[in-house]
Order: sequence, then structure tokens, then C-alpha cells
Amino acid sequence: MIDLINEILATLQHNKLRTALTGFAVSWGIFLLIVLLSVSQGLINGMETMFAAHDTESMTITGGWAHKPYDGLSEDRPITLRDRDLAILKSKNGSTVTSATARINSDTIIISTQKDYLSDGFSGVYPSELRSEGATLERGRFINEADIRSERRVIVLHKKNAEILFGKHTDPVGLQVKVGELSFTIVGTYDHEWNKRSYIPYTTARSMSGGSDKVNRITVGVKNLNGLADGEKAEKALRQTLGREHRFDPTDSSALWIWNRYNQHLATSSAMGAVQFAVWIIGLLTMLSGIVGVSNIMFVSVRERTHEIGVRRAIGARPLAILRQIILESVAITTIFGYVGIISGLLVANTINSLAEKGDWMFLKNATIDIAIALQVTVVLIVAGALAGLFPALKSLKIKPVEALRDE
Amino acid sequence: MIIELKDINKSYPGAVPLHVLKDINLSIDKGELVSIMGASGSGKSTLLNILGILDNYDSGEYLLDGVLIKNLTENRAADLRNYMIGFVFQSFNLINYKNALENVALPLFYRGISRKKRNSMAMEQLERMGMADRATHLPGELSGGQRQRVAIARALITNPSILLADEPTGALDSKTSKEVMQVFRDLNAEGRTIVIVTHDPGVGEQTNRIIRISDGRIVS
Repeated sequence: MIDLINEILATLQHNKLRTALTGFAVSWGIFLLIVLLSVSQGLINGMETMFAAHDTESMTITGGWAHKPYDGLSEDRPITLRDRDLAILKSKNGSTVTSATARINSDTIIISTQKDYLSDGFSGVYPSELRSEGATLERGRFINEADIRSERRVIVLHKKNAEILFGKHTDPVGLQVKVGELSFTIVGTYDHEWNKRSYIPYTTARSMSGGSDKVNRITVGVKNLNGLADGEKAEKALRQTLGREHRFDPTDSSALWIWNRYNQHLATSSAMGAVQFAVWIIGLLTMLSGIVGVSNIMFVSVRERTHEIGVRRAIGARPLAILRQIILESVAITTIFGYVGIISGLLVANTINSLAEKGDWMFLKNATIDIAIALQVTVVLIVAGALAGLFPALKSLKIKPVEALRDE
Repeated sequence: MIIELKDINKSYPGAVPLHVLKDINLSIDKGELVSIMGASGSGKSTLLNILGILDNYDSGEYLLDGVLIKNLTENRAADLRNYMIGFVFQSFNLINYKNALENVALPLFYRGISRKKRNSMAMEQLERMGMADRATHLPGELSGGQRQRVAIARALITNPSILLADEPTGALDSKTSKEVMQVFRDLNAEGRTIVIVTHDPGVGEQTNRIIRISDGRIVS
């Protein structure tokens, strides 16, 4: 083994510049592969974190405009969802719908303290709203079932809004705010990128709506779905059920706006898979040019050492011994320079990652590759090095000792 | 008898095939010091290559120490070269990035002998050649005569049945030539079988038997 290492080092030293250039090609290829893989992994992680906050097994329905005449009714009618649609959806679409919750919006009521006021409005919601909105709880708790049952006057505020109402250094949980003329107790604060609504229990909002049974949107939890086709079918079934109820054509796509989170998640996931696949292809192709370089240097090395190979054969080296030496040399070049590429790639990926953490980039998270991928890349390197050395080595086998000795 | 050639023929293919060896019959006994002499192109180098299992022949039979050398696989040929033949070349053919000791030890590397053992055996050979103090020198740092001594040490380390030398003094001045020939004579005195190919009558004179070859035939 020591002999082998010595021989490899001797050859590499013999052609320093060429070794360095070829090595650079290999390092560069691996470097790009690692950086690309890390960043794409970071993107995928970022996406998944965003989806994890969201409930991907749900669809949200909002009333729209029926543009097609139906059942004797004229075109261009507004479709308004009502309380009883919840029960209808649960009973008619029981095979896919696990739960149905609604939300009532009020955009005009002012929420105030003695210090300041908010005009973002509020929404009457169910406990599941937190997840379907993709918000994260910051302090206290969200609306719970008991709040719904007892129509409690409790409210959950966005953390920025709580700061407006109480100042930066006050813990708002437990304090009171005025919603219109009524007093509400703050039970929690949440964080969300752009949504700043205040949340109160659905039933409380219902009783404040003055006898209306109008709901702004319905969110249904879905189950037993397997793939995009199932998701689409479930969506269609929702349109059919509500179409019968509200008398509109189920194919009239503008009658209801349905946010199919299930299908959206699937589509994004498969897009992410495609991105990762593409990254591997690009990275491997970049690496290929480095590998071709190694193969090239090995051809030259075999050519230059024809005489030496002849001498070795004359003193009794088996062809396989020569073959092994050349292949191992090639593996050594690819692996050594490949590792330089891996290390520098990881350094750059880590830098990008810490930038992302500092800059709070939502779309990038943990932009590093795990040990499994590092191992995969190592295997790829060794195989590639062996392949790069194989053809020059086979060429060296064809050299007859007597011809090789004549070659000066 | 250590070498026995029967009706060996060899030609190189081409537009006009070149018949380089014609019905060569030759026997060399154990312990002989023989020179093969002939002009350039007479076929003496081809004969040496066949003797050294570096080249094959078209027809006839070659027995080396009782082993028929014919239709060998590359591996078998490599092993026979390693175990039975020691080569000494005109241009020394040392590996220039290895020092004297490593060069001498190289044949044992291909036998799978441990580094420690083969280095001590190589040192022994260098001592016999009076080259122990040059063991760590690279070939480039040695004189022609010293290089040839290293090459002879390399040829002897496997304790071969025969020592084949191709113009061993061709690249040396007359003084070192004499010294190198003295080395061969000493080795022969120890019982080594040595075959030297040369066109130098001065070298031939110092051997016990001269085989003259001309136009692919043995003339005397």
C-alpha cells in the first residue's frame, strides 16, 4: 500500500501543472454538485417548513359568482355560503370530508385599547384555522373548543398588532381590548408573514352578526385521498354538493373558489423532486467534464510511461498489477481533488445557510447536505475515477513488453 | 541443460515478411558464460527476447530449465520472467524516480514479498555489488557503471536460472566496461548461467563460448 501511494505521488509530482489543472476540473465539478445539492435541499426544506405550518389535508371554499345560467336562474348571480352548508358537506361528502369549519369576517369593526386602535377587522374562526392559515402561535393559546361552545369573548392577535395596542414590552395575554363596544380578553398572539387579522371564536362572531347565517368561507378537512386525481375528484364532489344546494352548475368554475391545498402540496412536492433530479443531472454532467480530464491525463501518463511499463513487465509484473496501479492512480486523483471540492462546496453551502438564517429567508432552510449524500458523492467519485482510469489501463495492457522496452 | 532451442523460426509480418530467425538450434548448459555476437540486424536481439520470454516465436521448441516456453498466458509469462530470468539492459532501464534500493527491490514487489523483507534482500544485493553506500541515490545521481551495477543487482535479486544481458557495456566507457565484465565473470565463477548479447568482440572474448549469428542463422 505504501508503495502504491509512493508511486502515485511520484507520478503526480512528475506532472504538477497538468495534475493541478485536471484536479481543478474535478474539484470544480464536485464543488458545483455539492453547492447545487445543498441549495436545492435548502429550498425543499424551506418549502416543506412552509407547508408544515399549513394543513395540507384541507380545502378552503369561498363563494364566487355563478356565470352560467342554471335551473331556470339567470347568469351572474353571487353565491353566498351559509352556516348550514357545513352540515350538508359533512353528510353528503362524508367519504372524503373529515371536518367542516367556517369563518366569518368582519372588516369594519375597530379593535382598540386606550393607547391605540386597529382597523384590520376580525374573523370568527374554529380552532383548526391556525393550521389552515399557516400561522404560528407566539404566546398563549389559540381559540379552542371550549371558546366555541361557550361563545367566549376571547381574542387572538397578531404579534405586531399586540405591540401597537400595548407597546413592545407588555405581555398582552390576559389583557382586555375593545371590539367595537364589547370587551374581549386576549388569550394569545400569533405570527404570520402578511395576515394580521384578529381571531375570535366562530360562535361569538355568529352571535355578533345580527341574525345573519352568512359565512365568508368554509374549510373542509379531507381524508382518503391518494394523488392528484383523487384531490380533483374530491374538489368536484364539493362543487356538486354545493351546486345542488345553491343551484348553480357544478362545472361553473367561478361559482366557488376552492383552494385545494392537498393538490397544491402534491404539485409543489413533485416540482421539488424534479428540481432535485435536475440538480443531480447538472452536477453530474459538470463532474463528467472533470472525469474526462482525469481519463485524459491517465492516457498521457500511460503513453509517457510506456517504457517504464515495459521494464516492469520484463522484470515480472503481471498485466493485472499494471492495470491496478493505473486505475488506483486515477481513483486517487479523483478522490483527493473530489474531496477538496466537497469541502469547499460544504463551506460555501454553510456560508449561504448562515446568510439565510441571518436574513430570515423563509424559502431557504438548512441548506446543507446530509451524510448520506456525501457518501453517495464519495461512491460516485470512486466509481468515476475507476472508469476514468479503466480505458487508459486497458490500453496499457495491450502494450507488448518487447515493444514497450524499445520505446525510449 | 538450462536452455534448449530446437528449430526456432521467427518472422515479423509485413508486406514483405521478415524472416529474422531461421531454424535456430542451440543448447546452453548450466553455469556457462556465453556471448551471442552478430552484426546489427542479424537477429541476435530477437533471439535474446525469445530467450527472455519477452517475445514469442513461430515454430520450434524452447525449453528453459525443463519448462516448455510456448503459448503462455501473459500471467504465466510474467511469472516465469520473474522467477527464472534476470535482465540487464544496455540502457539500464532503471525507474528514474525510484532510488537504487527501491529499483533493486522492485521484482520482489511483484512477488508480493513484504516491503521490509525485500528491502533487506535488496540491500544485500547492493552490498555484493559494492553499492551499499549509494542505496538511497536516484539513478540520475549515479554514474553509468554504478547504474549498471544496480541493474545487475536487480536482475540477481530473484535468484534467476539465467542472467540475460543485452549489450550491457554498450553505454559505458572502456574502463567501466571492464569492471562490469569482471562482475559478470565473478558471477559466472559462482555458478551463474549468463548469456550476453553484444557486437563488441572485446566483450565476446571474455566469455567462455561465442555464438555467432548472421542473417538469422547460427554460423558458429
